[in-house]
Amino acid sequence: MNKLIKNELTKIFKKKSIYITLFIILSFVILTNCIYKFFYNGTSNYYYDDNYIQTLKEELVELDPTKESDMQLYINVKTQLDLFELSERYDKGSWQIDILQTKVYDYIDQKNNYIYGEIKDENKVKEMDNKINDIIEKLDKDDWKYFAQQELEEAKSTLEELEKQKDKIQDKQELKTLKDEIEYAKINKQVAEYRIDKDIKYGRDYKNNALNTYQNEARNVYIMGEKEEPLTYSEKQEYNESIKNKEISQYIIENDVDVNKSDDLRGILRDLFEQYGLFIIVMIIMVAGTIVSEEFNKGTIKLLLIKPYTRNKLLLSKLITIFIMIAFSIFAVIIMELIVGGIIFGFNSLSVPILAYNFNTQTLESISIFTYLGIQVLVQLPKYILLATLAFACSTLFTNSAVAIAIPLLGYMSADIINQLVIQFKVEFMRFFVSMNWNFNEYLFGNLPRMEGMTALFSAIICILYFVAMIMPTFIVFKKKNIKNI
Amino acid sequence: MEKTILKCENLNKKFGKKQILYDVSFEMKEGDILGFIGPNGAGKTTTIKLILGLQGINGGKVSINGYDIEKQFTKAIEKVGAIVENPDLYMYLTGYDNLKLVKNLYKNIDDNRIDEVVKLVKLENRIKDKVSKYSLGMRQRLGIAQAILHRPNLLILDEPTNGLDPEGIKEMRELLLELASKEKMAILISSHNLAELDNLCNKICIIQNGKIIETSDITDIKHQKNKQYKIFEVNNTDLIKNIIPEAIIQKKKFKLDIPKEKVPDIIEKLVENKIKIYEVKEEEKSLEQAFFEKTGGNVIE
Repeated sequence: MNKLIKNELTKIFKKKSIYITLFIILSFVILTNCIYKFFYNGTSNYYYDDNYIQTLKEELVELDPTKESDMQLYINVKTQLDLFELSERYDKGSWQIDILQTKVYDYIDQKNNYIYGEIKDENKVKEMDNKINDIIEKLDKDDWKYFAQQELEEAKSTLEELEKQKDKIQDKQELKTLKDEIEYAKINKQVAEYRIDKDIKYGRDYKNNALNTYQNEARNVYIMGEKEEPLTYSEKQEYNESIKNKEISQYIIENDVDVNKSDDLRGILRDLFEQYGLFIIVMIIMVAGTIVSEEFNKGTIKLLLIKPYTRNKLLLSKLITIFIMIAFSIFAVIIMELIVGGIIFGFNSLSVPILAYNFNTQTLESISIFTYLGIQVLVQLPKYILLATLAFACSTLFTNSAVAIAIPLLGYMSADIINQLVIQFKVEFMRFFVSMNWNFNEYLFGNLPRMEGMTALFSAIICILYFVAMIMPTFIVFKKKNIKNI
Repeated sequence: MEKTILKCENLNKKFGKKQILYDVSFEMKEGDILGFIGPNGAGKTTTIKLILGLQGINGGKVSINGYDIEKQFTKAIEKVGAIVENPDLYMYLTGYDNLKLVKNLYKNIDDNRIDEVVKLVKLENRIKDKVSKYSLGMRQRLGIAQAILHRPNLLILDEPTNGLDPEGIKEMRELLLELASKEKMAILISSHNLAELDNLCNKICIIQNGKIIETSDITDIKHQKNKQYKIFEVNNTDLIKNIIPEAIIQKKKFKLDIPKEKVPDIIEKLVENKIKIYEVKEEEKSLEQAFFEKTGGNVIE
């Protein structure tokens, strides 16, 4: 048996095709890493490009502010242009632009409204101009903390005011609204405090993203938690997602580690199976889809069948060889990424842990990237094994390599679409469909599975059933097969 | 007593409703070289596939070295080497790698045996080349090397001379004779190339339309003559018709179906008529002719 497997591996590794595939995968790995290194800019966003400005200018010329139909649009476009003019004074990625977007926009809009709008008021225009100039002055001084402080003060005063109102209101509905507002104010205050404490300058970096996410998700968590009627299943999933994101954002803010970063070695390794999953699958299917059919096509199956081994043993040795090749493919891709990514990005990022929110214990767990990779391999394995088995079964049953490669690939590609449709339209019986069950990612850390009531055990049983359903006929047919003229 | 190596008893095979083999039976003993002859489509390859367990048997039984091929497959097949249809080789591997793959699957074969076999089939110089660069004759020889690597006592070759040029055929025959004497194995050769088997086999089995129509020693089949022609080569055949009406005339020759004792009478008659006789000989029937007499040409049902 060992010798049969050894022979199978020899045959595979003496073929050129496996090296061509490996080479293509390596090229793709290098390309991906280079793109992340040199072209990826997940943080810096520039608001305007020249084309857009040009379009705005042309639009403005055509509009007539005195016409009632054009008025509102004219004001909008004008505001955009004004804002752009102000933005030009600062660097493209600077924090000032963020302030302009968030704080100054309103003032410019009001100003333009008083100039071109229905109610014209020169005093108000002046007032707005002053406010804008005040802000510009602070911006020019590079004094971002002023704005942070201001935000904090605002949040505090709102909070105080709301608290005062609390005693006066009797109406239940109003009390509820007030309570919500107090909660929002608290979140705003928390965000402002974070900004000052952790010295987070305005901008578009991961810390600001984390602050934004924190603010939004904290609100979501509160809203969902306050709902009176029980949450639907998809709402529960959303709720879980919000809790997770909130906790992770908080971790990023408090520990100043960019755990979501994707343009480094750790980030690519973390997303390895999304990035390179197709390559692993192509390689597996290529091997599994040809391992039997090619012997039939070339006639060499006769050579094997007149050796002193039973047909079951021959086929089993090929199946085991495929399992070895699955391990090899995964391993090869991980090693490639480690080496290529290590050369391009360096290995420093590997010390940053991966965060996982455990819904059972309601705590954040930090695990090393390699443990995480190990878990991911295990979680993806059922999918790879089932696809390889499908290819293997087709290869044996149809003795046609093209069919044996095409069918599993089609299956893999349509699986995502099918899953999406099933979840979207809640097709209950499809929970027994294999592609709904071959990814165990959702069962990790007490997360909610994609369909209500599904468990890891259920999925495992479904996967095993599919496996047996494919393997049994394969072995039976192969055992009984008449070797016709080849 | 010589050991029986291969025994086929009443083999029947059907593909769907079509019956391919009817009660095929024959036997091979140690040292036998059996020519398995039949026109295309007669069931030669099918019989071989049944013997090797490549196809299911619908009726009857095959035993090799006393083991039933269906019930004790691994034991039965252990001492069998075979080439079915074409030598089955991995084209992208070298000749040596191909042999090594086979070697791995048997116990008690060492690398020296590979060298030994390579020498036997005279592939020493090319054994490290890829099989895809081999000529057809070299592939056939490598196929034989593959089949005899584990020292089988039964070698089954399905049309081993197919596609070989006369030189290749000659080499193949020499190789097989050498194998039979050196490695002491029983060899079953299927072929429709009868001239080939003429000087090779000691036994003949003729199959037609799925039925064995003749099994005998090769000397028997050749001398099993329905008609015993004597050929006379003369200077003039014009008058023959008048003198000997029953003669079959072919240009400067004629032939007669007569026993030996009557030859002097004919010669006397010819001399009387002043016909010059250059040669008188017994017509030697080749295997091929014997074959055609038996099968009545190449008819596929």
